[in-house]
Amino acid sequence: MEVTVLFLVFVGGLVLGIPVAVTLGLSSLSYLLLAGLPPVVMPQKMYAGMDVFVLLSIPGFILAGNLMNRGGITNRIIRFANSLVGWIKGGLGLTNIAASMLFGGITGTAVADAASIGGVMIPGMKKAGYPADFSAAITAASSTVGPIIPPSVPMIIVGALSGISVGQMFLAGAIPGILMGVAMMVTAYLISTRRNFPRQEWQGFGEVARSFGGAFWALAMTFLIIYGLLSGLATPTETAVVASVYAFLVGAFIYRELPIAKLPGILVESATSAAGILALVGFANVFGWILVSERIPQAIADGVLSLTDNRILVILLINLLLLFVGMFMETIAALIILFVPLLSLAQAVGIEPLHFATFAVLNLMIGLTTPPVGVCLFVCAGIARLPLAPVVVAILPFLLTNIVVLLLVSYIPALATWLPSLLTK
Amino acid sequence: MKHADRIIHLITRLAQWGTGLSFALLIAAVLLQVAGRLTGLAPVWTEELTRYALLFTVAFGAGLAFRSGDLVNVDVVCESLPGRAPWVLRLISAIASAGLALYLLPHAWRYVSIGKMQTSPALGVRMDFIHATVWLMLVFMAIFAALRVLGMVTGAEDGKPVKTDEDI
Repeated sequence: MEVTVLFLVFVGGLVLGIPVAVTLGLSSLSYLLLAGLPPVVMPQKMYAGMDVFVLLSIPGFILAGNLMNRGGITNRIIRFANSLVGWIKGGLGLTNIAASMLFGGITGTAVADAASIGGVMIPGMKKAGYPADFSAAITAASSTVGPIIPPSVPMIIVGALSGISVGQMFLAGAIPGILMGVAMMVTAYLISTRRNFPRQEWQGFGEVARSFGGAFWALAMTFLIIYGLLSGLATPTETAVVASVYAFLVGAFIYRELPIAKLPGILVESATSAAGILALVGFANVFGWILVSERIPQAIADGVLSLTDNRILVILLINLLLLFVGMFMETIAALIILFVPLLSLAQAVGIEPLHFATFAVLNLMIGLTTPPVGVCLFVCAGIARLPLAPVVVAILPFLLTNIVVLLLVSYIPALATWLPSLLTK
Repeated sequence: MKHADRIIHLITRLAQWGTGLSFALLIAAVLLQVAGRLTGLAPVWTEELTRYALLFTVAFGAGLAFRSGDLVNVDVVCESLPGRAPWVLRLISAIASAGLALYLLPHAWRYVSIGKMQTSPALGVRMDFIHATVWLMLVFMAIFAALRVLGMVTGAEDGKPVKTDEDI
């Protein structure tokens, strides 16, 4: 009875458009009251959920991304990506994807990527003769690479939930992220050839070198972050804060596009985003605690295992469930609620936690580009000044491509686990 | 009305200063830790200070996050409904948020007082000061949600998220 109410209030809150954090709080509170448990459990569990070491790195990574974003990297990265792939058929589409991959190494969120790259690329592609729906669709689809390529806010959350090292998680995302980018480029190329989209002249290695020089300081941050985490020299939090200082120095003194007067605003904005995520984590921790004490994860695992204990089928079922949930729910909320229950199921059929975490995050990223609640889809349709329907149609080939990559990563564990395993040897 | 605007402005500024300063403290503590690591003179309390600075960032920032939609609103379907329905749903959402935060306040206070008997291991701070971050977070959430309800009922605002960078 209490559990039924928990889920009813939760779904009801989401349908009414109440913020996810508040919905989690309301449903947990109704459970506690019905079960006769003292409501003081709630602030206690919220505190415990927020006071987790790994979460300390979230505001730093958000700040580093925001500082880089305002410090003039977008145009430099696009120019470098364009010098690399702009000469291929459908060059600007490919540039868009390559820029998202490079950008993904700087920010940890897909929406930032969609807004920054979309703001430049969508008008640019339209001007060059690309259809607006294709331009919006390719921007939305490629922005989802951002949180797969390190750094990644969703992966930090997974680290906090499961105890998997954040450095290992970041590394596990590298190959799947590159695979996703390359697969989308192939799809964009095939569409461009069929629809005869334009290409640009090859501008020579001189331009590649010059544009690389321009983007170098921004791209170096990705390596700074990975080195910081993997060398064991710094914790994720230290890496994130050092990356923020680096981003500030590059934006203010090398690119000279970040006015120092803007710094307090960026600081408060980044801290507010992080506070929103942390508050969500706090409320979700109460919800998660209730699920665990009601043995829901075990019940889900037992339920699925009573149907089948075939690994291939279980992976398929997990993916179908996450794709469905990802269509309606925001990534971080979905991770917090579903990750632990599904992890017990995955481990029951012998799936490694690191492998499971990688394909679960990748799967939920796809949800950012599916209706009805695909945030990146809305951002890009908004920039292109289009209604949603044509963008949804135009994104279908990219969606299918990403699902193929998801299946590859789900069924070939080495794609996720090989790089991190090199580190532990 | 002018007085109300002034009060709202002051509360928002207080939350922004609190959020910004707590985050700045977090950054300073981490940099001190890094510097300490490099020089071999790392103080033992930096990690604890970082954790508490984050909790205060959340305490001051959660209300602003409610205001800017950063508590994650899945409102796309609601916003596409016809007529006055989106406005009504935004009002329900604000009432629910204010209601939850207000209801939890006394319970959070009880949790704060539990910390009275404890001190933190490295800094030696009384834990009720740190537990108070959950209470403060709910206070700011309650204030910003209640202000939205009031603003919507009096017609001063439409209840849509206000982006943080627009008002700094």
